[in-house]
Amino acid sequence: MDAILTSLANLEFYLVLAAVLGVAWGIVGGALPGISPSITMALLLPFTYALEPSIAIVLLASTYVGAEYGGSIPAILIRTPGTNAAAASVIDGYEMNKQGKAGLALGISLYSGVIGSLVGLSALVLFSEPLARLALAFTPPAYFALGILGLSVIVSLSGESLVKGLIAALLGLMISTIGTDPVSGISRFTFGVSDLLSGIQPILIMVGLFAMSELLKQASAQYEIRLKTIPRIQFPDNKLKKRLILPQCIGALFGGFEGLMPGAGGTIASFMSYNEAKRWSKSKHEFGKGSPEGIAAPETANNTVAETSLIPMLSFGIPGSNSTAILLGGFLIHGLIPGPMLFARSGDIVGDLYVGLFFAAIALLFIGIAIMPACIWLVNQPRPYLNAFIMVLIMSGIYSINNSLFELSVVLVAGIIGYFMRLLRFPFLPTVLGLVLGFMIESNFRRSLLLSGDELSIFFNDRISLVLLSVAVLFIIGSLAKRFIGFLFTKLKSKFAENTGR
Amino acid sequence: MIFTKQKAAIFLVLILNLSFSIYAQDYPVDTITILTHSRPGGGSDVFLRELSRYLGPELGANIIVKNVTGGSGASAIAELARAKPDGSKFYATTPTFIYTSLLSQPAYTYQDVDPLVNLFFDPELIYTAANSPFQTLEDVLNKARSSRGLWGAANPGSMERQSLEQLKLATGLNAAVISHEGGGDLIINVLNGTLDIGVGEAQELQSQIEAGSLRILATLSDTRLAQFPEIPTVQELGYEVVVRKFRGIAAPKGLAPELILRWEQAIQSVLENPDYQASYLADNLRLNYINHADYQGFIDDFALETQSYLRRVGIIE
Repeated sequence: MDAILTSLANLEFYLVLAAVLGVAWGIVGGALPGISPSITMALLLPFTYALEPSIAIVLLASTYVGAEYGGSIPAILIRTPGTNAAAASVIDGYEMNKQGKAGLALGISLYSGVIGSLVGLSALVLFSEPLARLALAFTPPAYFALGILGLSVIVSLSGESLVKGLIAALLGLMISTIGTDPVSGISRFTFGVSDLLSGIQPILIMVGLFAMSELLKQASAQYEIRLKTIPRIQFPDNKLKKRLILPQCIGALFGGFEGLMPGAGGTIASFMSYNEAKRWSKSKHEFGKGSPEGIAAPETANNTVAETSLIPMLSFGIPGSNSTAILLGGFLIHGLIPGPMLFARSGDIVGDLYVGLFFAAIALLFIGIAIMPACIWLVNQPRPYLNAFIMVLIMSGIYSINNSLFELSVVLVAGIIGYFMRLLRFPFLPTVLGLVLGFMIESNFRRSLLLSGDELSIFFNDRISLVLLSVAVLFIIGSLAKRFIGFLFTKLKSKFAENTGR
Repeated sequence: MIFTKQKAAIFLVLILNLSFSIYAQDYPVDTITILTHSRPGGGSDVFLRELSRYLGPELGANIIVKNVTGGSGASAIAELARAKPDGSKFYATTPTFIYTSLLSQPAYTYQDVDPLVNLFFDPELIYTAANSPFQTLEDVLNKARSSRGLWGAANPGSMERQSLEQLKLATGLNAAVISHEGGGDLIINVLNGTLDIGVGEAQELQSQIEAGSLRILATLSDTRLAQFPEIPTVQELGYEVVVRKFRGIAAPKGLAPELILRWEQAIQSVLENPDYQASYLADNLRLNYINHADYQGFIDDFALETQSYLRRVGIIE
């Protein structure tokens, strides 16, 4: 607290500037499909060598905050999540866009992102110490259980056909086994190709499945002239704001916890919170058809993650995601070693970071508003031009990550698979979840068995694991029961209609 | 006031440049690119950027660090192997480039480039949680003798895992060696008592050691470390396990002998620069200069040793 006050008292113009520039850069990077928050930050990292330590750190951390919001822009506008964690926002965001409510969808995402940032920042500042202890309590069986809990969402995400959802999820799980075996180190399904050694990045598959397949589909659709809507930023009115409180609380809660745990980097939180927001919503039927709540929950969650993931990074020096790993690099460049001693030795920098993050949350609001008209103008351009532009944007974005033609071909192949999945009405989201969580589940499952000497009881003896697994079982049974009841109901209804019709 | 330090640094670089352009012969190219498979902020990246601040003026050229992260080092090796040996392109070596060459069949391997010089070894430490019952490495081994040893390494195909497998072999014990996704994951599982010990680089453990939450039991280096003079080496404790996690520079094949000499001299004089010394000592790097004549042999030995290890544990055929 003292550190924050000191920092505020000696507030430097450059600190605020760094927060604003970081957010602006982050939004742009996050909005480009394929450029993840960590890449956006990595591109900036070389420029931070010459900066003062606290300016450099604030710049990087603000970039992370901006990128988590930025990821929702293409999710809403072109059905392509800019970041892993924005995948859940595609569902209702793109639906709202199709209904001509792109401005409102972006407004909700921005509004929720700012709220998520502020909630996460409060948790970071106030509860860093107790929350850090919670992160330590997560052992391999607990991570396994967390992954399973994430996968349990598939039942309710599968849409019309559970079997198709499971097949799609299995595809994701299978892709996640490519690469170096997490326990033995043997190369699996790499066929001697060194590009496959570190596995296939989920973002490549996501860009392929969502964006490429959409472009392929639109290329075959007849071009219709769209009515030009007037670009207008629309924030939720008070009535809608009230409705969004519950999904935002859910998002902040899941995001807050996921940030603490190394692993999925916000994806579990955004999917889980989407699922729970749906469960607790008064207007469940709107979900999947353009529900504002369906944007608010995941977007609050991923911005909360951006803040609380700093807790294990600052307290232990342990990065939970690629983005925090880059931030850790930023600390190391300036000779600062995050960990228990950071607060004691460089308290001023931590104070500056907190203050900078606060300004970043505020800047997010203003910069978000400022660039929205441009975004909305862009999607209202004639489709063929726009599609060509998106195609170039995606390909050059992916190529610029590692200068790798191999990764481009992964995107193209995923796009073709996605096109056929679309034709056969397979849902994409289970594939994404399987892909993101597969590695985490597998490696922690095998690690747990190594620990216990092949005793499965380890998953029930670990308290966290037991609780998470039980919740997952309840979810699955609950969702299955709902499906079954729904099935019976429609059957009865049709029978009834048959009887009365005669 | 913010940019004073930076200004001073630029001024210094200017002066250095001036003095060197008078004395030193011109370097054949203006800009040298050093490739690394490490992402920005990663171990090799930080090492290279720090080194290039001192090495650039010494060689009389600008040095650019380029992160070529694809294929666990395979892309960077390929780019180097295809580069012209005109002194414009180099690569920062670490054991990763040997592991990748052995684990997959990349188009270009460590044998297609020329190891130029070595600078450092990263010391690897065996550590446990400060509140664990283990006071010495022998305590850990005794636990493994009486019940089940749980030992952790950062990555499955890593030097750390190799060192633990070698320790198992040297002690004849059958402990479970559990690999993770990076050092951070591993530290958590040692701190929360899931694992008995972990193996990690001094740098990533430094903060926890200073805070008193981790205890070092032994070092895997060949001699004791200056920073931890009271910590015994594993070799001293009677087990023949030594880890040499090297950091050096590789060049494309066919680099002119006078350029090789030029690099050897420049690296040696940079290593003696007191400012750079202060910087690498703070980063816990151990000086271990190997010249061009010996480095090829060192790398070949290292690769052979690694290959036989990978075969023994069944990772490659």
